Formats: sequence, structure tokens, C-alpha cells
Amino acid sequence: MERRDSAMSEKPIHFHPDGQEALVELLFQLADDDFLLAYRGSEWLGLAPHIEEDIAFSSISQDTMGHAAMYYQLLEDLGCGSADELAHARPASARRNAVLLERVNGPGHYLREPRYDWAFTVVRHYFYTQAKRVRLESLTKSSYAPLAEVAAKIQVELHYHLLHWHTWFVQLTNAHLEARTRMTKAIQDVAADFAGVLTLGAKGADMVRWGLIDDEKVLTERTIAALAPAFAEVGLDWPMPFGMKHGNGRNGEHTPDLDEALATLSEVYRAVPHAIW
Amino acid sequence: MAGKEQGFYQVFEVFSRKAPDAPMQHQFSLLAPNEEIALVMAQENFMRREPVADLWVVKRDYIRRMSEEEKAALKRLDNKDYRLTRGYGDLKKRWRKYEQNVLDEKEILSWKGEIRR
Amino acid sequence: MAAMMTFTRLSDEEKYERFMQRIEAGEKIEADDWMPDEYRVTLIKLIAMHAVSEIMGALPEKEWVPKAPSLRRKLGIMAKVQDEMGHGQLLLRVAEDLMAPLGKTREDIIEDLLNERLKFHNVFHMPAPTWADAGLIGWLVDGAAIMTQTNMLDASYGPYARALKRICAEEVFHAQHGESIILALAEGTKEQKEMLQEALNRWWEALLMFFGPPTADTTGTSKQDITIKYRIRTKTNEQLRQDFFTKYVPRIWALGLEIPDETMHFDKEKGQWIYRQPDWERFKEIIRNNGPKSQERLELRRTAYKQNAWVRAALSAVRTAG
Repeated sequence: MERRDSAMSEKPIHFHPDGQEALVELLFQLADDDFLLAYRGSEWLGLAPHIEEDIAFSSISQDTMGHAAMYYQLLEDLGCGSADELAHARPASARRNAVLLERVNGPGHYLREPRYDWAFTVVRHYFYTQAKRVRLESLTKSSYAPLAEVAAKIQVELHYHLLHWHTWFVQLTNAHLEARTRMTKAIQDVAADFAGVLTLGAKGADMVRWGLIDDEKVLTERTIAALAPAFAEVGLDWPMPFGMKHGNGRNGEHTPDLDEALATLSEVYRAVPHAIW
Repeated sequence: MAGKEQGFYQVFEVFSRKAPDAPMQHQFSLLAPNEEIALVMAQENFMRREPVADLWVVKRDYIRRMSEEEKAALKRLDNKDYRLTRGYGDLKKRWRKYEQNVLDEKEILSWKGEIRR
Repeated sequence: MAAMMTFTRLSDEEKYERFMQRIEAGEKIEADDWMPDEYRVTLIKLIAMHAVSEIMGALPEKEWVPKAPSLRRKLGIMAKVQDEMGHGQLLLRVAEDLMAPLGKTREDIIEDLLNERLKFHNVFHMPAPTWADAGLIGWLVDGAAIMTQTNMLDASYGPYARALKRICAEEVFHAQHGESIILALAEGTKEQKEMLQEALNRWWEALLMFFGPPTADTTGTSKQDITIKYRIRTKTNEQLRQDFFTKYVPRIWALGLEIPDETMHFDKEKGQWIYRQPDWERFKEIIRNNGPKSQERLELRRTAYKQNAWVRAALSAVRTAG
């Protein structure tokens, strides 16, 4: 017991006071990104185009929500509130996820008329996973050691996610005309909001100054370099420039899609205040 | 019957080993349009809760299977002691005369470690 | 081979006799083995129905996947519903291999489900309007499913027995996942306890119906005699229902919950549970897809299936032979 206590006390629960704001901001971006995309993935459960894929996709959504939980735990350790509260109880204006990741899977609802778009899902996940891999690589050298450790752990699961989404991306884009048309449209759609994933928001410069993560320009270049070979593989033009068509989520700008998601994902959490579930 | 999605549903058999020194084991079969998709489906469909050190997918068409009648060819008589250590059960007693032990399985497999002089 | 020649020369009666000897000797029948049509047809009906029931059974709980009240519960129920889809996959593969000689594929099974030629289990036509329903499904519906599935672990059809072995191993997780949700509610606030009791009231009749009618006389649809003859299962519907009571009724009572049947008790002399029969007329309606949620859930599956048809069509064409 004693040994465990001393290990606990060695755990750094504070970063440099002046850098803490930038750190917390970064952790919210990381946590909210994974949480919202995993949430959108969980809505697909039972509705994927193929039963075997439904199962594989759900594992990826579980992994991704597990990653979000690790980041929320880092925030809890910094005294920002409990991980569950941070995931379930923050209003849209406090969320720092990229807008691309909160957008609905398609028209309809997960229980009624789900006209979900598999092309959009594949492209969104493929682009995001490449950006996430680049970001994690940078985070393994973060000045905040607990974050560097978490990043190294998460990296392990990204290999499968990339293999999975790359396979779908290439095969569907290289398939017959209808599929290629749908994929091309989805690529344009995702590119229109992809800058929102790559940006570190208003506090980005502070994050870099405190050695938490590399500059967003560097991360963007690396992400483009990671995506480019796939575009060569499918013979499509590069969809530049990336935009933030539906707003910059890093600055708290969000769409009604997020309000709807938050209402659903916190419905039971809010039903009986202070209950243990 | 054979609908427009027929080509999507190819049968693949899935094999995996739990550890690098473990044998390949048949797990189950899945449907996929091609081997790349089959490969990315395999682990999460059948081995969500166990370690996997290696994974194979094999299109079922490439497997030569046995019919019920052919399985008769797998049967044989239990008269092949000479292939087994139990056919050499007398050795223990015979070595005793020379004050030596028989080299049994336990003894021989122990040789992979350090041998006491 | 002489043995081959001999076998192919056997008359159908002789093949049947040999087949029944294998069944009675406890041998496992494999997909490519000779089997009487009645055996094949019974298995196809049973296993295809079991498969689509797993897939339809994911839907009542699916409702609660995005809504689960904590990160851990969200992950747990996602994994649980994923398993249900996984069980559907295993069972579909078993059914598909049995149907292959008839020229049928997964596409036919799914279309039969969507066109209502193939029915899904009566319990999955019921509504699950609260989080407590999600917990109760995991605890008691899965408990009932474990009863029926363990009963078939030694099924004479090898591929089914092997799929069930995998399924039952995962059901242990499902049972505990359900217990964990239920215990949190039972030990929770007044609202949580009420939510749990209401869910039990809602599901009780469905749990009785789960095992099917006691005899064929009740509804005229029981297949239990054929499945017992071919050693696909060993216990009757009523034996399974009694076993379920034995394992679960004391647990339900121990949590301070009330079973909505004041006649429910164990008769020591008869050695059996006494309970009020569910409305078997209602059961007949439910299995005709006229249950409270039958059409809504089928429609959800139809929409998803149609919406994604382009994905399957796109990859049907490419690189078939590698």
C-alpha cells in the first residue's frame, strides 16, 4: 500500500501553471474529437452494409471511445471534473471537437429511417485516422509526460484502424462508376471541413510554445504527405484546399448536429441527477 | 436466387495463432468480397477477446475437403504399438539390470535446459 | 474406394438408418454429410431463425448504445450489441452452408427476413423504452437465451454445436453485463428502482413466451418433437422455462423486485414452479410480425439494407478471382 501511495504522489498532476490553460485546451480537443466520432460510429451499430463489417467497425468505435476516455481521465487528473461529467455534461459551446466529427452520418435518425452515407463515413474516418496518427506521433514527444504516455498507448491501435479504412477507401473509390461518384462527392464533403481537424485553434501557438505538440502547419504538411499516396493509388486529384465550411469547433463554433448528439448521448446521464449507473 | 450481390459473398476460412510459437488454428468462416476485406474483418469477428500473433484467410474454394465417404479413409486399426513408446514398455525393466534409466519423454525433453554433469 | 461405392449404392432407407445410427451414437453430422431432408430443413429453419433473431435482437438494445449513461456503460453495451451481431454472423454462416446445396445464400436469408417469410424470435418484437429495459434484456432475456442455447451445446449438427460453443462463452459476459446494470439500478435512487420494476413488469410476459408454448396443442407451431428426435436439443420448452425460473426467480426476489404474477411460487410436492400462463393468442400475433415493435424494427433494417446496397454491388464486381 505504501509503495502505491508514493507512486501516486510522484504522478505530476499539474503542468507548469502558465502552460496549464494550453494543455487543458489541447486535451479537450483530443478527447472531444475521439468521443464525437466514436459516438457517430456507435450510431452505425447494426446498420453497416455488411454484418462482418458491422462487427469490425464497432471494435474501431470502441477503441476510439476508449481513447477519448483516456484523455478525459487526464483532464480529471488535472482537476477539470470527472471524466464522465466532461464527456456527458458540457454544453456545445464548451466542446472543442472539429465540426467534421460531429456531423451526422447522413439524413434520418439511428432508430428511424437511417439514410446513412457509407461513403462519407469511410472518407471521414480515413482522413481523420491519418490526421490522428500524425498528431499522436507528435504527442509521444509532448512535454507533458502523462500525455506522451497515453499517445504511445493509443498509437498501438491506430495500425488496425488505418489498415481497415484504407482498404475500404481504396476499394470503393476504385470500384464501378456509382461508387466512385459517391466517394468523390464524399471526399469533397470531408475536405470542406477537414481544416477544422488540422487546426489547433486560438491557443495553438501557446501549445507549441509549451512544447505540448508540433505546430499545426507542420502537422498539416505531414497529414497531407500521409494521405497523398492513397490519392495516387485511386487516381484522383488532390482535394485542396481544405476548409472549415461549418465553422471552427476548436473555438466553440458548432452545428445543430452537435446539439442533437449531446442531447442523445446525455439523455440517461441527465435523467436522474447524481445517480450512479 | 443468385442475386446481384452474389460476388460480394465469397466464403473465406479464418485461421490464427495465439502466440508466435503456437500452431495455426481454424477459427471460423466469414463472407467477404475479396481477401483484403476478409483479412480486415477476421480478427474482430472471431478473436475480439484473445491475443492474435498471426492471421490467415483462405478462400474456401481453394481447400480440398473430404466427403463423408472419404472420411472412411481416416480410420485405422489400433495395432501400431511399434510407433509409440508404449510399444517399448519393457525397456525400463531391462535397463535396470545395467543400473540405467530409460530415456523417456520427460527425460529427453528436459535436455533443452542445462544438463547437470 | 470400396467404402464409397458401397455408400452411394445404399437406398435412401438404408442411408436414413445409417444416419439415425450416427445420431444415436452421438456422432456429429457435418455440412457435406448425407442427411435426410427433414433434418436439413429443420436445421435451416431453426438456425436461420436463430441467426436473424440475433440480428433483430441487436435493435432493442441498439437504442441504448448512444444513450448509455457513462463512458464505461457506453463501451460495455457497444461490445454487447456487437456480440449479438457477431452471433448473427456465426449462425448465418452455419445456415448458409446448409442452404448452399439448395442454391441459396445470405442474400436470400436477409431478403426472406425483410419480406417477412422468415420470422424472428418473439421476444425481440417488444419495446425497450428505458435504460432499465436495456439492463433487463441483458440480465433476463439473455438469461433465457443462455438456457435455450446451452441446451443445444451438444447438438448433433457439428457446425451448430461449434457456433453455440463460441456464443455461450460470450453469453457469460452478457449475463454479467446485464447483472451489473441491474444491480446499479436496484441499489440506486428511488427513480432508478422504479424504472427497474417497471421494466420487469413490461418484460415478464415476454420472458414466459420466450421458451415457446408448452405443447404443440397450444399454438400448433411447436417444433420441439422433431428437434429432440434428431438430438438437436434435449429439453422441452416447459423444462427450459422451469429451469429459467429456478435460476432467476430467487434472484429477482432477492433484489426486492416483484414479479407481476401473484400466483408465482414453487410447489415442493410437484417439484415445479406454478405460474400464470401468458396470453398465447397474443404470442401467435407477435410471431406473425404483429408485435408492438415488429414493423418498426423490420423497417429500420430494410432502410439500412437498401441504403447500403450500392456498397455490396460495387464490390461484387471487382477482383473476384484475385
